[in-house]
Amino acid sequence: MKLRIVPALLAGLLLAVTAAPASSAVDLNDVGFLDQAAIGNLTAFQSANAQLAAYKSQLDAQYAAQIKKAKSDADRQRISLQFDQTFNDKKNEVLGPLYQRAQYAIAQIAATRNLSVVVDKRIVIYGGQDISKDVVKLLVSSQALAPPAPPSASSEIGYVDQTQLDTLPKVKDANDQLAKFVSDQRAAYRGKYAQAKTDLQRQVVAGDYSKTVQDKQEALLKPLVDQTKSVTADIAKKKSLLLVIDRADVIYGGTDITKDVQDALSK
Amino acid sequence: MSRMRLASRAVTVAVVALLALAGCGRVDVNSPGIRGIGFVRLDEVVKHHPLYAQLGQLDDAIAAINLAASAPIVPHSAAQIAADTKTLNAELKAAQARAGKILRQKQNDYANRERQAVGAALVAAGAAPAGAAVGAQMTAQSAQQAQNAARAANADFQAYERNVIVQNGNAIAAVAKQFQQQADRRFRARAEQLQQDEAQLSLRLSQADAPTRLSLKTRLSNLAFDDATRSSLRAQYAALDKKENDAMGALRARDRANLNAYRAQLQSETSASIRARATQINGQTKAELQSRRDSVASTIRGLGAAPLPPHLSPALQSKIAAIHQQVQGQFQSDAQQTIDEYDATKADLDRQYAALHGADVGATGAAAAQLAALQQHRSDLYDKIVAQIKTETARIAHDRGLSVVFENVEAAAGGYDLTNEVSKDVEGLHE
Repeated sequence: MKLRIVPALLAGLLLAVTAAPASSAVDLNDVGFLDQAAIGNLTAFQSANAQLAAYKSQLDAQYAAQIKKAKSDADRQRISLQFDQTFNDKKNEVLGPLYQRAQYAIAQIAATRNLSVVVDKRIVIYGGQDISKDVVKLLVSSQALAPPAPPSASSEIGYVDQTQLDTLPKVKDANDQLAKFVSDQRAAYRGKYAQAKTDLQRQVVAGDYSKTVQDKQEALLKPLVDQTKSVTADIAKKKSLLLVIDRADVIYGGTDITKDVQDALSK
Repeated sequence: MSRMRLASRAVTVAVVALLALAGCGRVDVNSPGIRGIGFVRLDEVVKHHPLYAQLGQLDDAIAAINLAASAPIVPHSAAQIAADTKTLNAELKAAQARAGKILRQKQNDYANRERQAVGAALVAAGAAPAGAAVGAQMTAQSAQQAQNAARAANADFQAYERNVIVQNGNAIAAVAKQFQQQADRRFRARAEQLQQDEAQLSLRLSQADAPTRLSLKTRLSNLAFDDATRSSLRAQYAALDKKENDAMGALRARDRANLNAYRAQLQSETSASIRARATQINGQTKAELQSRRDSVASTIRGLGAAPLPPHLSPALQSKIAAIHQQVQGQFQSDAQQTIDEYDATKADLDRQYAALHGADVGATGAAAAQLAALQQHRSDLYDKIVAQIKTETARIAHDRGLSVVFENVEAAAGGYDLTNEVSKDVEGLHE
């Protein structure tokens, strides 16, 4: 009789050890993601893009005509800037209202689902809440959309704007140095490549070139990348964030710590 | 009793085993520091994939083509341009001949198809066999006329094109020669100017030092001086030489640097001028060719069927006309493919013409095709590797009970890093 207790006891222990963690917390379930291609495929966006493409082709012809008349580099630069500005204005005019409506729709769905952050689908490998269908449905409806209220809860997912960090003088210097190094090495290895007589020799030269560039990249940029990661992680810890992602992957919400990281890296 | 002891031992062993399991067991993914969120450093995991070495090989191959294709942007000599232009013209001529041959073959094929279709229509309408002969004769005549006219138009266009391209090549070579001569003249003028400056300095120094030099020489010729005085005078004389030589050396070094910089500046200006002029000439040539091509295409499109024999019924006549229209439409669509292929070859040769005149256009011809193929292959391989990694990550995340997993985060103050686990898992793929 007592022997029957043994398997039950074992099962109970097993369950206690494997199923009940020492300390448990509520999982982060306020992370949503969006397939931006689904929105880009909507008729309104496709028509706007087609309209922009036609405008660009017309603008390109005008640009080609004007750039021919340019007498100096300064002229060329001025004309290029002017055409870029014209195209951007048109882009804002055509796509601006569509983007705004999309933002309102995303914010509305995120609020309904209590999401503190919505990210691009490409960076989510597993889990999360897919809001693509709901957003598309709301966008194609005739419903008027109001400007969103800011997310009610702060997100434990932080973000940094990598393009801002790239403008820091030491990052810019490193990138400039690398660009010059690559250009110099390319010229040097081009000569070696031209002198190589067999396929094997050419392969060796090409391999050496790739490795030289990679090594330099590692030497110049890795210390900066490591420092940035470490500083970002420290700030994230202080702000009680779990993970920090790139601004480019955030569609809605999240906690911006770019300024804190910039300040810390500039010290 | 022994049963009781056995049971007690079993319980002890089980408890110890389970405690051991718990001690070295899994991380609690629901703990406050993780909260069900995980991440993978994808770039790191990719390095553990069995196909990673292939990615490296493809990168090296791509680097090799880029190295081979990056031509220095300096103007070629007029003779080089002429020789290379000749080769490119030969390639263009061969491409024209190929395209022409394929088009003629297609024209024959479609004429035969039309003949058969018209014959079948006549048989169906009861007009055969005499009608069939008339139909065959009519379509053959029509096809022959169209073919002759198209051939003549194409030959005319090709001759015109060859002529224009040769003129284009000659014009650009002449322009290149002219700019190079101008640059040479400017360089020689600057070099001569600097040589004059050097001669003048040398003269000035000699004149300035002449009295001292004379005095030293006079004193050295005085036999009454002792060795020490004589040695001191010689040293002064040598110092004078050195001072003049140093001054001249410094000027020559400055002039050399100046000339090198000037040569580089001239090369850059010449190259830019040649490129600008070549672009303009190429643009004019292209416009001329396009205009003539449009005119020829319009002529060929306008070639209609031969007049239909009068004894055929109106219904049959319109049916035959419809067949002609349909076959001609099919021919034009098919021929367009050949024309597109020819245009692609022509565009590539145009880029090579541009490269010849100093434009940095990257890889061209077969190298460009090979580069594009390699880049596509690399991209496909990378996507395949990443897809496998994501599948494995999702499986592990599910087993672990994670709620969400991100790739390539910027930094992690919490969450669960799956990188090592996924890397080990991925290493076993294909093994």
